[in-house]
This record gives sequence, structure tokens and C-alpha cells, in this order.
Amino acid sequence: MSDYSQAGRAARQREDRELLRRYHVDGDPSARERLIARHLPLVRSLARRYAGRGEPLEDIEQVGSIGLIKAIDRFDIEREVSLATYATPNIVGEIKRHFRDKGWAIRVPRSLQELNAKMSGAIDDLTARLGHSPSVGEIAQSLGTTNEEVLEALEVGTAYTALSLDAGPAGSDDDSDPMETIGGEDAEFDRSEDRATLGPALAQLPAREREILRMRFEEGLPQTQIAERVGLSQMHVSRLIRRSLATMRAELDE
Amino acid sequence: MSADPGRDVDRVEIEAPLDLAFQGVVRLVVGGIAEQANFGFEAMDDLQLAIERLLAETGSDGRVKFSFELSDGAVRTRIGPLRESGLAAALQETDGDAGTLSLARILSAVVDSFGVEPATDGQIVVRLEKLGTPRP
Repeated sequence: MSDYSQAGRAARQREDRELLRRYHVDGDPSARERLIARHLPLVRSLARRYAGRGEPLEDIEQVGSIGLIKAIDRFDIEREVSLATYATPNIVGEIKRHFRDKGWAIRVPRSLQELNAKMSGAIDDLTARLGHSPSVGEIAQSLGTTNEEVLEALEVGTAYTALSLDAGPAGSDDDSDPMETIGGEDAEFDRSEDRATLGPALAQLPAREREILRMRFEEGLPQTQIAERVGLSQMHVSRLIRRSLATMRAELDE
Repeated sequence: MSADPGRDVDRVEIEAPLDLAFQGVVRLVVGGIAEQANFGFEAMDDLQLAIERLLAETGSDGRVKFSFELSDGAVRTRIGPLRESGLAAALQETDGDAGTLSLARILSAVVDSFGVEPATDGQIVVRLEKLGTPRP
């Protein structure tokens, strides 16, 4: 029988509970890492439901992962509920919030969305062909469009991190979400106290993002080299860096 | 917004609310300025990220002025006045413990130099300098 049989599910739930106990009671961070890894297929499955709405699937999965991590961190081990059951609304909520926050961008002309989708490959191709990071003008020329449209299309892809992860309360449907609670004088004071080090929040990121930040900010590698090492486009690396930093900032504001 | 055509240094100035909703506008302006300076995508992205992370540490109340000077393939940016409350000190902490990631370390990686100038009422102005990658 597959692991999805009733017995398999029960065994998985027992393992989850043990890992949750180790994380919440013993403070074992490796248990948290394992829980995240074990439930990433759930994130991918839920993210696929939201594919084809103008956002790369990988980005939706990334957002869903934040919901998963929050669910793991907030899980009350006294409650008789499986982690998957508890995490699902958190993951879906995070994805929906992402789309809601980005609503303005989704309403931009389709031509701009399509241009954004072409941009990533164009930047990588031009970088390889020209031997340097292409200017906006060079990108525009290669795609047969204007500099202004290239800038606008880049903004479509960038807006997410600045507007959703760093944003204050964005709605009333989930006002208990600490990630969306910023502000007040105390928060300002805390902000000044902890702005010097984002270290603890760094540990909250998935391993790939941590590695990308390490390469960028410790090794000082340019995006192009990081992109080669991790097998992503330069534009995707740029967005992951942006998003990771915004995630860390938001973690500190909790 | 003002520019000085025909001179060695072109200057663009804007003033915007610190509210996050305006960061996209600021990014677009920075992108346009980087293009005028003939920056590549990566240098443009670095400068946008530097400004974005700095603004993320300054709260969202009030307004802020941005001054961009373009010369010799470089963009010199002045941002402020900003409420101080530890920002100046944080910008000096480049040598954090291993595994930490300070604002200063981020700026060190994405711009060529940065610094702080005092402004009125105990506020500060942050300077960022970004050089474009030399082109063949």
C-alpha cells in the first residue's frame, strides 16, 4: 500500500507530532526543518491550484511555504489535529493574500505581463551574448519594445516583495496574522534595535534562499554567478533575494 | 523633478511619501535614472534594492526627498531627511557575527559606497553611490 493509505497517514501524523514535540518542547531546529521538508509536497499541490493566474508557479510555492512555516511555528501541540489539516488554510491564506496584495499588478495590461514573462530569458541570453549585464535599452531592443515598457514590466515582477511582505495590515480577514502587523512607537523602537542584525530571521528561510543570500552578501557574488550556481535565471535570483530580505524583515516585526 | 541638460552632472530630485504604496513609483524612477546612466540590469537592480531596504528600515510616516546625481557612469543618491533613531549606527555595523545580515552589510554588497550626513532636527541624510559596470 502507498504511504497515502490510512495506516500510512496515521504513521505520518505520529511522526509529525513527534517532530512538532521536538521542535516546540525541546527546541530542536532540525525537527522544524524536517517538518518543512515533509510538507513541501502539500504546498506544491495547493500552489498548483493557483497556477496560470499571471504568477510563476515557483513564486506561488514560495509564498505557500511561508504559510507552512507559520503553521509549524504556531502549531499548538495540545490540539488533536494533524499538521496538514492545520497548515492547509494557512498556506492557502498566504497564497490568497499574495494575489490580493498584488491585485493592482494582475490588472496591468496583458501585454505587460507577457513582456515580464519574456524578460527573464532575454536578460540571461543578452548577458551571455554581450558579456555584461544588459541595460534596459538593450533589453528593450531585443524584445522590440520601449525602455519605459521594460521598466514597467520589471516593476510588475518586483512589486510583490515590497507591497506584500513589507506591508502593514492589508485587510480585515486575518487580522491575527503577526506578519502583517507593523507600526506603533514600540515597534519603531524595536525596529531600530534589531535593524542591525537580521541573523535570527535568516535561520527561518529555506536552505536555498539562505545559500543565495550567503553567496550574495558574504561571498559578494554577482547575481549572474549565483544564477549559474543554483540553476535559476538572474531575474529569479534577484526576486528571491528581494523576497528573502523582505521575509526576514517581516519576521523581525512579528 | 529637475534636470540640468548639457552639464557634467545631471540631477533629478523627487519627493515622495514614505508609505510603502509609493515604493513602486520610486523604483520606476530609479530604474529610469539607472537607464540614463547606462547601468546594466544588475547594477540597476542593486541600486533599487539598496533604496528599498533602506526605506524598509525607516518607517512609513512622513515624506522623504530623493536626489540623484548622474555623472561618469555613476549615480549618487541622497535620501532624507530621515528620522535617526539608531539608523546611523546601524549603517556602521558592517562586521556582524558570522551568519548575521545587517543593513550595512547589505548596502556594502549592492552599492559602491554609502554614508550618513546630519540634517536638521537630529535627522539624517543617507548617501549611496553606485557605479555602473564599464561597457566595452
